[in-house]
Parts: sequence; structure tokens; C-alpha cells
Amino acid sequence: MNDPLALLQRTRRHFFRECGVGLGTVALASLLGEGQVRALSPSRDERFGSKPGHFPAKAKSVIYLFMAGGPSQLELFDYKPSLQRYSGQPIPDSFVKGRRFAFMDSFTKEIPKLLGTTRRFARHGQSGTWVSELLPNFARVVDQVAMINTVATDVFNHAPAKLFVNTGSTQFGRPSMGSWVTYGIGSESRDLPGFVVLQSGPRGPRGGAVNWGSGFLPSSYQGVPLRSGGEPILNLSTPPGIAPGRQRRALETIGELNREHLDATGDPEIATRIASYEIAYRMQTSAPELIDVGGETAETLKLYGAVPGVPSFANNCLLARRLVERGVRFVQLYHTEWDHHGTPGQTLTGDLEKVCRDIDQPCAALLADLKQRGLLDDTLVIWGGEFGRTPMGEIREHIGRNHHIDTATMWMAGGGVKPGITLGATDEFGFAPVEDRVHIHDLQATVLHLLGLEHTKLTYRFQGRDFRLTDVAGKVVDKLLA
Amino acid sequence: MKPTPLLLVGWIFLATSARAAESVDYVREVKPILTHHCASCHGAVKPRGGLRLDTAEAALKGGKEGPAVIPGQSEESPLIAAVLGEGTSERMPLKRPPLSAKEIDTLKAWIDQGAKHPADEKPDRQASVHWAFVPPTRPGEPKVNDGSWSRESIDKFILARLEQANLRPSPEADRLTLIRRVSLDLTGLPPTPQEVDAFLADSGPEAYERLVDRLLASPHYGERWGRIWLDQARYADSNGYSIDAPRSIWKYRDWVIDALNRDQPFDQFVIDQIAGDLRPGATLVQRVATGFHRNTLINQEGGIDLEQFRVDAVYDRVATTATVFLGLTMGCAQCHDHKYDPLSQREFYQFFAFFNNTDEPEVEFATPEELKLRAEIRAEIDAFHKNLVMNHADVLKRERAWESTLTLDYKQALAPELKDAFDRPVEKRTVSQERGLMELFLGQEPSLKQEYAVLAELRRREPKFATSMVVSERQKNRRETHIHLGGDFTRKGDTVRPAVPAVLPPLSADGDKLSRLELARWLVDRRNPLTARVTVNRIWQAFFGAGLVETDNDFGLQGTPPTHPELLDWLATELMDSGWSLKALKRRIVLSATYRQSSKARPDAAKVDPNNRLLARQARLRLDAELIRDAALEASGLLSRSIGGPSVFPPQPDGVMKVGQMKREWKASDGADRYRRGLYTFFWRATPYPALTVFDAPNATQVCTRRNRSNTPLQALTLLNDQAFVEIAHALASRVLNEASQDDEGRVRYLFRLCLAREPSTREAQAMERLLSQERAEGASDDGESAAEDQAWLTAARVVLNLDEFITRE
Repeated sequence: MNDPLALLQRTRRHFFRECGVGLGTVALASLLGEGQVRALSPSRDERFGSKPGHFPAKAKSVIYLFMAGGPSQLELFDYKPSLQRYSGQPIPDSFVKGRRFAFMDSFTKEIPKLLGTTRRFARHGQSGTWVSELLPNFARVVDQVAMINTVATDVFNHAPAKLFVNTGSTQFGRPSMGSWVTYGIGSESRDLPGFVVLQSGPRGPRGGAVNWGSGFLPSSYQGVPLRSGGEPILNLSTPPGIAPGRQRRALETIGELNREHLDATGDPEIATRIASYEIAYRMQTSAPELIDVGGETAETLKLYGAVPGVPSFANNCLLARRLVERGVRFVQLYHTEWDHHGTPGQTLTGDLEKVCRDIDQPCAALLADLKQRGLLDDTLVIWGGEFGRTPMGEIREHIGRNHHIDTATMWMAGGGVKPGITLGATDEFGFAPVEDRVHIHDLQATVLHLLGLEHTKLTYRFQGRDFRLTDVAGKVVDKLLA
Repeated sequence: MKPTPLLLVGWIFLATSARAAESVDYVREVKPILTHHCASCHGAVKPRGGLRLDTAEAALKGGKEGPAVIPGQSEESPLIAAVLGEGTSERMPLKRPPLSAKEIDTLKAWIDQGAKHPADEKPDRQASVHWAFVPPTRPGEPKVNDGSWSRESIDKFILARLEQANLRPSPEADRLTLIRRVSLDLTGLPPTPQEVDAFLADSGPEAYERLVDRLLASPHYGERWGRIWLDQARYADSNGYSIDAPRSIWKYRDWVIDALNRDQPFDQFVIDQIAGDLRPGATLVQRVATGFHRNTLINQEGGIDLEQFRVDAVYDRVATTATVFLGLTMGCAQCHDHKYDPLSQREFYQFFAFFNNTDEPEVEFATPEELKLRAEIRAEIDAFHKNLVMNHADVLKRERAWESTLTLDYKQALAPELKDAFDRPVEKRTVSQERGLMELFLGQEPSLKQEYAVLAELRRREPKFATSMVVSERQKNRRETHIHLGGDFTRKGDTVRPAVPAVLPPLSADGDKLSRLELARWLVDRRNPLTARVTVNRIWQAFFGAGLVETDNDFGLQGTPPTHPELLDWLATELMDSGWSLKALKRRIVLSATYRQSSKARPDAAKVDPNNRLLARQARLRLDAELIRDAALEASGLLSRSIGGPSVFPPQPDGVMKVGQMKREWKASDGADRYRRGLYTFFWRATPYPALTVFDAPNATQVCTRRNRSNTPLQALTLLNDQAFVEIAHALASRVLNEASQDDEGRVRYLFRLCLAREPSTREAQAMERLLSQERAEGASDDGESAAEDQAWLTAARVVLNLDEFITRE
């Protein structure tokens, strides 16, 4: 190589620009000598592939608890005595005239009737936040939480709605929130992906991989699913029958020959390839260490209700904490299934109770654990689904609730969010917001803001246009900021 | 004679001083400047600062900050301050090259002379000035100083620009690099050692030409270039969205491969895909070609508004057609007029109207005899069902009772048609759904075992045919097309009829009978300024990593201008003049001296041209996802070279299919189908094959005209540890042990030749031999199954398969 320093600088730029995974200078250090690397790396953050945002951030990491299916806000958070009073009455025409809903066919039979919840509600904590009896553990931590009862979205079918919440668009091919964030500010993890996805519940979220896809951004920004059971990352383990020593020697020789070729061609892409292999090798150690929760104290395991080796939402919440501890930027947990149409498996009775039990204790534990470890201040926790449910009942085998885009409840905590507040109010039936409506694009703008990113400036040029997570809309919700 | 720079300066100076006195013509001289530099931000659509500069009247009126032009006072006019960068705002045009001194002087003179302009001036839609909207004409070859370097006309265009920048081209790559490069580029497969030897042994002056002609005639050419086309067609084997049911459209994939192999003229290739069904006497094959626009997604989720997703598919067809053939971002005009390009929302829906009356049938590949046999058996099945109900009065009741015991999981796992039966009221079920459920019931009901056996035999004998999804034109109940206000299909605006954007040449046909066929013919009409340019640019992109127009999918005003505009037009006219032969065009490109250059870094050139846009060297390009698999299979000797057929299931890691909502099965294929080329891998949209997506294969949800080339640790894990690649490494190791000479040196040499087409350097050979001796010291494998020697060579094979060079076209 003629000019290793120039190459190094160029390669470093390439890393920080192109690589969402925790690429660092460590790999390069071994390539080109630690001293030179130090000289070029003044700040700690930059060394670990983290990039500054547009302004100082409140939150360093995000844990996004995605409740796939669309949880019923009316059974959980948005308390509506009037709805109970008028339960069984047809919904006034003014609410539904000219509107489109999912399963429209069923509307032609009769006018849908209001459905009051059978759940008992109470105010909790010093903040007096309303939470129903379905979430008793969560009710104890509401003072950490900003409840948003007026989240509105655009589309009412599961797969497009999930896409919308994740990418800001119902069209395919746009990057998801975690991809935008790692594209914007990189990751602090040296040896784990910057954007990790965890799943629990009886099935995967509808739409699958597009929910954490990187769209037109380089694939290095796409979410990496950490799998429960088996290998945490696809192809992480050295293949069966190959001893660790052989794997290490193979990697050493690959590195040696790649360096030879780098000398011959001068293409910095080869330096990136060399670094990729070194990081992959470190991931082989760091990822199994990460998912092994056996080293956590019995107290912590009990707090979450996690059992080592048994896949669950509780386990994933604990993993989420371990991931952000290790500098991973964006962790998204999917838990199915929150669809409550009233069909078997989707009732507002036993099935809702079950899924609430799945998440109640772990959510409360996650907030408490983050707080006691001093991580909650710079970890933003988000909870919510892809839409809300109608105040009208939907008659199937049992009475359920239909998909509803006008309003849903989401909550956020930590990471610069004002704790102990309830934002927004819906009308007497909980059909639509009457104050402080928060559109999904506003929520996305707010999440980016908390991470130090201005949502109108986080853009990527594709097909002749600057695209962004918030499409052409979105306003930061100031009332949510601490 | 060209004026020297010094003379030129003087000339401008003279012209400038003359300007003030000379009368300026607004329409001829001023308006083009404003249109070219200003109107994209200060035009009709959302003008910045409320200021429009697309008419003189608007400039005089001004925006939020007041008038931009004050007649008679250029010194006081904010427009002049802005273009000089002396105003309160930033220099205009923002983030774009400044106006030339001459242009500024023209503006000044016009203002000082009173800013005169026609009273009835209309905004110019600025089309006439944008290069891409003017049909290409054949340019003459430029003069070059070095007369010896060029092999093809192409080279003169490239060399002329290099000479302007005082750069020399790179030397020709060595022959080993060349054969690997051109083999991978034309067929997607690396050369075999025999092919390499034959090429090296051919000392004739036209050895390389012979090589190229052999590769162009190879049936694998269609696979390589077909895959590139399939990205644009968004081809996949499943429906997408949450249900993501499998679909059968591989006949379309095979049609693409075949059409390219027989070098179907590109204009006919386009017409078949857009409107093959409408051709007079359309053949089955032409109908299959219309599968191009059946690669849209289908949402089978419960509770959806079918019209919404039908409209979404049509939107996608419009956007895809515009992107693939015209290089225009027409999708931007779905909700409002295009912000930059002269494409109105109305024009978007006029284009939409061409696709709004398509139906979505399937064609079957059956002989008349087979169809007759099937009709007979179906009649028997029909009779069976009728008899069943007659002979067993309670069978329906029992079937219903059985239904009520079914779990949600069971229902979810049923074929979409049967699953749908549970999403609707019982009385609304179709006969076929009722019968399907009855047959499932019979299959598990011991007391009706005999009846079931009769049925099962009938079902077994019922002939099944390959099918393919196609497009057809709706005859009855034709839809009217409306503008969708705000892009919302429920808000209907004006009715529109099919038409093409006004900025482009008109259709040859007109009247009421405009169909996709006329649209298709228009796309490939010689007068169309875009299709040929866009097409040659994408071909160029495949050979050099970037197009002459870098924004290959945006030839509009926001796209990057071509680096070599004359070359682009030369190639476009060459394509059309050659009868739209893609092979002829590719042949010219790969025979050029430009293509044959070495790809080694050029620090001298990088100083003036860091992104190698002037092509002082070739580019090193990481192989596309499928080709990484293909190259590994080929090197190992496992590759099945059969072409076409239903998609296959190579091994993939456990757990991949778990991420979708529906649990789909992935049973790895056995035999030759386990080792097919990457483009035949079954592609589930919700759970795509990981070794493809990790190397940037597109997700097939929308048109992809250019893939990313990322470089990540997950790629390293895939090549190191993925079962499919380990299996390949085993085969490669055995091949080396069996076929090469018995010594390490010869074997390492063979290993390199199989994978990289070249022999190892001394240092590389030493590194490999060191590795081998260490590996042997480790002994047999842990499980004792494989001997020390096999293990050592397995490691060696894995090393070479993981080299950056192996997955790179040098």
C-alpha cells in the first residue's frame, strides 16, 4: 500500500457511513497498527462506530415493545364510563358515516353497537394514571410512564399498518425506524448488531422481515433477529464437526490472504471485508454470552419472571436490557397476539387476559430494572401496537373489537420522556381524539428528537428524492419531553 | 481552431460589455435561464418562499420577501443579489452550480432595460430544455490525441474525457482477470480451469472475441441477465403481506431467460411483457410474458378492502413501468403534481388508466387431451359428492361438528381458499370450499374410510398442470379511471382517459381504443427519448458498477446529468439501429478497451476523480447474491446446470421460516435440485432466503433497478458457517483431493484455479501450506468422522471460498 494513512481515513469514513453494525477501529487497529488509529480517534464514541446526531441526545438507546395485533386501549388504559353506560346502543351515525373499517362486510348486516368494557379501572401512582385490572404489575410503575391515549394512524389492516408504524409509509421499500436510527447515529456496540429484533408469542408478526428491513438504505442497517432457541443469530456457530481452533486458523489465513490482495489492488473495500470478518468472529463469542441469562441473579430472573432457556416475552425483556447495556442502539421486541375480534383465540376475555399476563410483569420489571441500574435515563422504552380497537363491538363467535385507526394508546418511558403524565383525551366513547392527537409521524419525529435527530434532516436520497422516516409530515410532541 | 483560454476570456468580456446596450429578448434569452436554474424550486408547485420565477410577471410580483425583480434597477433587484450570493439568503440556486457570468449579465441587462416581457406569458413546463426529454441523435466520435488505445467507438468517448482531465487509462487487465471478469459478467459463472487453459492457449489475435462470442451464446447468459431483469420485474414465488401464500409464476422467469438467450429484440421483449395478451393472435408464450405485471403483491389478510389492494397493485404497475422503461419517478405524482419533473397528477392517472382494466387470470400448460381427461375426472368427483350426501344423510351435520373442533392453528395452516371459508358466514361459502372441507373431514373419519379411498383415487388421477399468472384485458364491466384526490382512491376526482405525459412524444395511435398495446409500442418508439437511454445505461451500470447517468432510475430534473452524454446517446442509437439487439450492444461494451482495463486502484486518478466516474480504470465489484452461490457451486463441481423449472429449496438455517405470520415449510431439495443456481431458489417475500438477502438481493416488494453492495459481518458468518456453503466446501475439498496432483503445491494451485481462475503467488502458497500443516497437526475431526487430511483440505477450501477476491469480479 502506498499510503496506509490515507486509506485508513477513507476506510474509516466508509465504516461510519456504510456500516450499521458496531464496526469499530478495533478491527482496523490490528490491520494498520493501534498507534495510527488512536491518533485518528479523538472521541470514544467515534471509536465504536457511534456518530453524533444533529443535537445532543436525551436517549442513547431504544427498547420498542411492539404489541402485534393492535391491543385494545379500551380494555387497558382509556377509561370510558359513558361507553359502559351506553353499551349495547347503536353507535350514532355521525361517528361512522362514510368511514371505512376492516371487515366492512359485517357492517352491512346491522349498525354496530357500542361495547362497554367489563374491566375494572383505577387510578394508580402519584400521577393518578388510569390502568385496568388487566395490568396489575404495570400499574405500579406508571409514575415512570407517559401515557398517550390519542395515537392515530392511517391504515387498518395488520401488515400495512405495521409497515406504517415502522417505516412511516404503507409502501414497501422504506427503511424501518431502527434502520433510520442506526443510519443516523450508528451504534456503540463493538461486536453486536446495532439494531436487534426479538420475538415472542405464538407466531411471527405479519409481514415478517419487512418490518425491520432497511429498505433502500444499505442492508447493513437492517434489523438482525436474535432468535429464541437454537442459534441467536443465523449462522453464528462454527459448523458442526469443525473445531474452534480450525475456525480461528481459517479466519487468520483469510485475513492474511485478504491483506495480500489489499496490497495488490489498493481497494479499501477489502479493508472493510477484513474488519467484517474480525467482528463476525467476535460476535461468535459475544452473542452467546449475551443470550445466556443464566448469570443473572435469581432476584433479577424472578423480577422479570424469566426462566433461562425458555423463550418468552419476559426473557426478551431481560435480553433487551442486556443489549442496551452492551451499547446496542435499537432493540425491537414483537409480542403476538393482540388481535381481539372475538373469534376463538382472539377473545376479549380469556385470550386478552393471557396476553396481558404475558407482558404485565416483564414490562414492569424492565422499567424497574433499567431504573435501578441507572439505564432508564438514557434508554427510551416504547410500548404499542399498529392501531387501536373500535368502541363498537364486533360480533363473531364472541364479541370482540374491530381494528381502529382513529385512536390507540401507546406509552413511552425514560430517555428524556416526561414521566407520570397522560397525554391526550378522546371523546366520551373513546372513538377519536378531542385533544392532543398524536399521529404516528409525530411519534416518530419525537423518538428521533429524543435520540438527537431532527426528523426533517435525517434524509436519504433515493430515486431522485430525499426520503425520511416521517415522510412529509410529523411534529415533535413537546408535551412529551421532560 | 478552438480559442485558447486567454482569448476566450477576452471574448466573454467583449460580449458582456456589449450586453448592456444590446436589447435582450425575454422569451429567447431570459426565460430559459430562469427555467433551467430556478423553476424547479420556484415553480408552480410549492414555490420556495412563495416566490415563483416561471414567468416574468411572477418574478415582478415576488414572494414573501417582496418582488424579486425591480424593473430598471438590477442593482436593487433581489434576484441578482441572490444569484451573485450577495443577498441576505444563501447563494442561489441552492446547492446547485451557480449561474455563469454571462447568464447573470443577461439577467441584469434585461432588468435594466425595464424587464419587458409578453403580457400573455404562460409558465414553460421546462421540458424542452431538459436533455433527457430530447430524443437522442447519433453523435460523431470525438477526436482523441492517443490514436492507438481505442478498440471500439465507445473508447473514444471515454478517452476524450480522460484526456481533458489529463488522465491516462489503465493498462489492460491480465488475461486471467479478463476471462474471469467477462465470464462472470456475461454468464454469472466463473470459468473452469479447462476454459482458462483454452483461452490461454489461443494465441490468435481474436482469442478474446472468440471467448466473448462463446459466452454470449451460452445458455447461462440468459440466467445471468435474466436475474437482473427479474429485479426490475420484482419477481418472487409468494404473494407477500401477512399470509404470503406461494404462487406459481416461474414460467414467467423462464420466459425471461429464454427471451434473452435467443436475443429477442428488446422492443419486442418490452411489448410482450406490457401487452403480450393484446397482440393479434397472442400465443401462450406471449401471455406468459405479461407475468411481468403480475409480480405485484397480493394481500390475503382477512377484513381487507379488496379494491384498496387492487389499486395498490395498479399504482405499483405505473411506478414500475415508469421506472424500468422511462427512468422517471412517476410514482411521485400519485398524490400531487410531481415536484420537480413536468408530470402532473392528472398525467399520472392518465397513465394509470392504461392498467386499470386488467384482470388477473392464470394460464395452464396443458394439452387438449389432458384438459379433456381432467373434465371427465372432475365430473366423477362432482358425482361422488352428490352421492355422498345422498347415501349418508348425516354427513354434512357430522362434518360441521368436526369443524367446530378445529383449532385456530389448524385453520391458519389451511390453503388460503379453505382458510377463507372460516372468515365468512357459512352460507356464503363457495361450493369448492364446502367440498374442500368435506374432503378434509373424510380424510380423518374412520367410518368413511372406503368412501375416502374412492375420492383419493379420483384426486390422484386428476391431471395437474403448471400454471402461470398473467394479465388480461377486462372486457365487461370496464372501470372508469378517476384522479384520486391526494392519492386516496376513495376520493374520486375528474374522470381521465389513457394518455402519456405531455412532455414526451404523443402516442402514434389515438382515439377511444387506446390500450396497453399502444402504450407498449410507444415505450419503444424511436421517438421516445427515454427507453433506449435508460436501457443502455443499466447495461453499462452492470459492467462498470455505475451508469453513465448515476441515478439510473431518475432521468428527470433531479437526476444526475450523464458523465458522457454523447456516449449515452451513441449507445442508445446503437441499440435501436442494431434492431434492439442486447447481445450486440453488450458485445461492443465488453470488447472495448475501456472494459478491459485493470481495476487496480489509481491514486493519481483518484485525486481528480475519486469516484472513478471518468473510468480511468475498471471497477472491482462484489458479486450479486445469487452469483456468490453460483460461483461456489461451480468451483466445487456441485453445480446443476439445468435451466428453468419450478423454484427449488437449497438448505437454509433452521428457524428462518419462523419469522412470518404463517408457518411455511422449507424442506431442502435433494439431488441435483439442491445445487441449482441462486436464481432458482424459492423466494418467499415474508421470509426470504437469508444467504440471498444478506448479500443485498432485493426483497421483491417493489421495482429494484440497482442493488446495494454492502459489506457486513453477517456476510462473513454466512460464508463461514452456513450449511449450504459448508456443504460446498466439503465438495470442493474432495474435488481438489481427487482431481489434482498428489502434492500440496499442486493441490493448492488447483484450488486457486477452481475458485479464482489464477494460481497462487508464492506468499499465498506459503500461507496455505502453513495452514495445511497446522491443520494436520490438529488431527482428525472431533467426531472422528473425517480424517486429518480431509479436515485440513476442508479448512483450505473454506479459506478460499471466503476470500474477498472469490466474491468479487476484479
